[in-house]
Amino acid sequence: MLFRLDDVQRHFGGVHAVDGVSLEVEQGSIQGLIGPNGAGKTTLVNVTTGYTRMQHGRAFLESDELTGLPAHRIAALGVARTFQNIRLFKDLTAVENVLIGMHTRFRDDTPAQLATLPFFRRGEQQRIREARQLLESVGLPESDANRHAATLPYGAQRRLEIARALALRPRLLILDEPAAGMNPSEKQGIRELIERLNADGLTILLIDHDMRLVMGVCKRVAVLNFGKKIADGTPSEVSTDATVIKAYLGTGGEREVASAPGASGVDEETAVEEAAFARRPAREPEKAILDVRDLTVSYGAVVAVRGASFRVAAGEVLALIGANGAGKSTILNTLSGLVRPESGSAVFDGLDLTSAKASSIVRHGLVQVPEGREILARQTVLENLELATWARRDGAATRRDIESVLKRFGILGERRHLSAGSLSGGEQQMLAIARGLLAKPRLLLLDEPSLGLAPQMVDEVFRAIEEIHQDGTTILLVEQNALRALAIADRAYVIETGRILLSGSGDELLHNPAVRRAYLGG
Amino acid sequence: MDFFFSLFSDPVGFWNSHTLLIAQIGINSMLATSMFLVLYSGQLSLAAPGFMAIGAYTSVLMDLHWHTPLPLNIAAGVVVAGVVGFLVGLPVLRLRGVFLAIATIGFIEALRLGVILNVPITGEGLGLKNPHADPLGGVPIVLLSLAVVVFIVWRLTKGRLGNAWSAIRQDELASLSQGINVARYKMIAFVLSALIAAYAGGLEAHLNFFVDPGDSQYGVTRAVQVLTFAVLGGSGFVLGPVVGALIITLLPYIFEAAGDYINILAGAFLILVIVFRPQGIVGRGGLALVRPAWWPRARVSAVSPG
Amino acid sequence: MDQQIVNALFIGSIYALFAVGYTLVFGILDILNLAHSAVFMLGAAATYTIAITHGQSFWIAAALGIAISAAMGLVIEHVCLRPLRRRQAPPIAALISTIGLALILVAAVEQGRPGTKLSWLWIDGADSVAFPAGTFPNPIWHVGDLTLEASKVVIVPISIALMLVLGYVMRYTQVGRGLRAVAENPRAARLMGLDVDRMITLTLVISSALGGLAGILFGAALGDISPYIGRDNVEVRGLAVIVLGGMGSIPGAVFGGYLLGVIEVLAAVTFGSGVRGGVAFAALFLMLVLRPQGLFGTRLRERL
Repeated sequence: MLFRLDDVQRHFGGVHAVDGVSLEVEQGSIQGLIGPNGAGKTTLVNVTTGYTRMQHGRAFLESDELTGLPAHRIAALGVARTFQNIRLFKDLTAVENVLIGMHTRFRDDTPAQLATLPFFRRGEQQRIREARQLLESVGLPESDANRHAATLPYGAQRRLEIARALALRPRLLILDEPAAGMNPSEKQGIRELIERLNADGLTILLIDHDMRLVMGVCKRVAVLNFGKKIADGTPSEVSTDATVIKAYLGTGGEREVASAPGASGVDEETAVEEAAFARRPAREPEKAILDVRDLTVSYGAVVAVRGASFRVAAGEVLALIGANGAGKSTILNTLSGLVRPESGSAVFDGLDLTSAKASSIVRHGLVQVPEGREILARQTVLENLELATWARRDGAATRRDIESVLKRFGILGERRHLSAGSLSGGEQQMLAIARGLLAKPRLLLLDEPSLGLAPQMVDEVFRAIEEIHQDGTTILLVEQNALRALAIADRAYVIETGRILLSGSGDELLHNPAVRRAYLGG
Repeated sequence: MDFFFSLFSDPVGFWNSHTLLIAQIGINSMLATSMFLVLYSGQLSLAAPGFMAIGAYTSVLMDLHWHTPLPLNIAAGVVVAGVVGFLVGLPVLRLRGVFLAIATIGFIEALRLGVILNVPITGEGLGLKNPHADPLGGVPIVLLSLAVVVFIVWRLTKGRLGNAWSAIRQDELASLSQGINVARYKMIAFVLSALIAAYAGGLEAHLNFFVDPGDSQYGVTRAVQVLTFAVLGGSGFVLGPVVGALIITLLPYIFEAAGDYINILAGAFLILVIVFRPQGIVGRGGLALVRPAWWPRARVSAVSPG
Repeated sequence: MDQQIVNALFIGSIYALFAVGYTLVFGILDILNLAHSAVFMLGAAATYTIAITHGQSFWIAAALGIAISAAMGLVIEHVCLRPLRRRQAPPIAALISTIGLALILVAAVEQGRPGTKLSWLWIDGADSVAFPAGTFPNPIWHVGDLTLEASKVVIVPISIALMLVLGYVMRYTQVGRGLRAVAENPRAARLMGLDVDRMITLTLVISSALGGLAGILFGAALGDISPYIGRDNVEVRGLAVIVLGGMGSIPGAVFGGYLLGVIEVLAAVTFGSGVRGGVAFAALFLMLVLRPQGLFGTRLRERL
């Protein structure tokens, strides 16, 4: 038994974030930890690695007790972790990031520094060599070693964070959503990395929402819900457990799990494809309400979008799929007026988006539901909705719309006077969409609506999107969950490294071999 | 402009007639370096004038009452400042950003208004007379000290300590996750900067015949001035704040022609520099004034070829 | 003793009014506007100049003084803050640019002497002046053993009224909700169609108007107007107030202002007036150590 947690508890105010969780991780195994957003997974990790105080319970790493130790001591004892939202040292190069990871392993060199003794240099060279080896071992190319962490592509950043954690030479590696935001081929790469590290003897605790990844790689899986552990067993035991399915997986998720290697059952893709087939295939529209031509957007020296051109016809659902960092969000932010392009044009129903103010764009009917939801956590659900009607001047109609939105998204109606921050991830997504709708959009931009949501919530969100579409709102949907996006879209574009590569109807792309390989896992 | 003319045409004469200015540049540069240390480790501490006061008063009082030799007096001032720095740092270093800045302002003003102005031995509001001051002879020591201090701080930033400080500055939580004892390293930077500030304060006291407890010496005004050295000069590299100190101390001479309106120009200068170069004069990318526009810059692309 | 309490109320009201402007800007922009104390001074100086040097009625002068202070808010936003936001500068840069503006304002008033280019602005240079008796009605009332000057008494209801109005606006009006949205998440606010730049400008204008008004009340009631009244009276005390009350909290600034006034008076009475300055800082220091978020602030938890 390498890692043991005994009855760990942590509450914030009245909320029991972690409510008596016990866990055992076997030496040399990969342990999965899953559960809906807000179930307490990250809090559990924070508590056991010392970032938050444990209010009750104990933690052990082999014979060392971790209870009550400060975070840096726990790290020094051999517990390394990565973070859900990448926390690299942005201003340092990749190599320097890894060198910091080795901090605990070499002694203070102040005297040598002050005397500028050459013997210190040798030690430093040795360490740099080791750092480069670590970078190589996680699959980071040599050319990236001296680049500033902030300039690395998303996938490389995730790998770098793992390399930095490995620099500690840990006994336990905790990975918190290491594959979030990646397309299937990138995820496969991470999966292989995890398996390779484990084959070399490293014990790993893996937290993620991607069922295929978790169930495929882990020896055992523990499931948390509302701070309590509701299941703990092998992947097949857990994925067929009724409570787990009800709380977390939903029917879509169940299918995802069932299609994991080694499992038998319904092939999710076929089922979803059949749904998509029912749509009419569409062509590049003649009359478009949004016309984007040769859009090029840069952040400083980094070109995020290159010469992108596309059109959106009124009433359709257009999907933009591609991996994280491909430029999808940049395009949406440019359309919303938050970012100005270097060149190119974007016209929405007569309004030049490249020069209009963000507030005018919203008033004109182009509304974005941003990635990560960005709701106002400290204000109530109702206040969030009322703010969304800021741009509108029709008092009575506004009240009516707020009421109807609260009715449509029942759960929001129930919680209208609660602070938005107390809602779960999926509920917040609903709030964000509701808020977007209240601005009376003619074109609704949805940026990664399923990101970070439990499979069950993803079902609900896509149901809501479909309803909005039926009501006649034009939708531009950006998603890295290509399967769902293509299934619901009339037309789609595939974007990679800032360029639009393919376009076609949702159905066409769903069957396109290149797309399947890259984004649908073959 | 005559000022610069005489600097280049008659360096020796320049030195002789401007010794106090040169000494002041040296002192300010040391203070700027003290500021650099705390900023480099991610702490917005404005406590330097407080430690200066400790260094100044301790050394002058020892001279007046115990007639001990100067090096001992200054050393004592430095030690006392180190101890006080440690004690103040204990509760204060877990504060972040602006909160730490305000807490350190609280410290220096409480020290100045509460202690110095009320304890008879310090001469209270009238300050202390320092009959053994040596305005001219002190200059070589100041410049030598500056060189040593800058060298030490520079070497520290290059080693394990400096790496830890860099990491802490960028992300304390990530630093913890790599086993770095954030509290300890922050304290080291804080105390070290206190030692340097006290040393500079002690030296400064011995360049003047009078120790003045006013706001422009040891109060918020001075703290803001030292902050400006560092932000204007750029706090990414040891020499940045020194450059900032140099420019700001020389400002009255650069804008000599402005006469009475010097402060107005100084304020405008500050605004212009910070708006057009927020990272400071010696920000990332080297010395802005020195690098010509056609110097090749590395083009970094975020798009990986693979 | 009671006279002291009364004095504490007056000075506390000034502190509170000043601090509200400070905390408003911090709450919405996360920066300390170090030009605020200069605007305080400018409000007083401008009113004095217009009333005395240029012979206008006090009420017109005061109204203009407030207007000029509010206009300074525009200047602060367009010169010191917006250019930095556009360049994604670190927040510390805003400290320096507002310091620069404060330097300019104080120096301009300092240099205003008869015969100089700035004499239209101020002719008393670095000297301290007071409104001559009769500039505005200032009856003195005697209640029990208390001596109450109207100019001081009136500060309290004015301050309280303004703060109630501001509080109401922030909580219940669309504008106030918009300001709170910008304070919490500027990006979300933009995406909801709020004009964030305009909200920020509005914040600076309101904050500066309040700061200038506090200066006018100070100058009128306490009879001290010079280029240094900002620096000497409120610059650093304002910080103590918002720390005590909680950065970004308006009720906190109000409560903190009165609290500081009372603490100072009590300390002066107990330890002698010399300690008055140091007390504010001791209180500030203690608060930061024990409860950094202040009395009314909320704990900011970093999301991991």
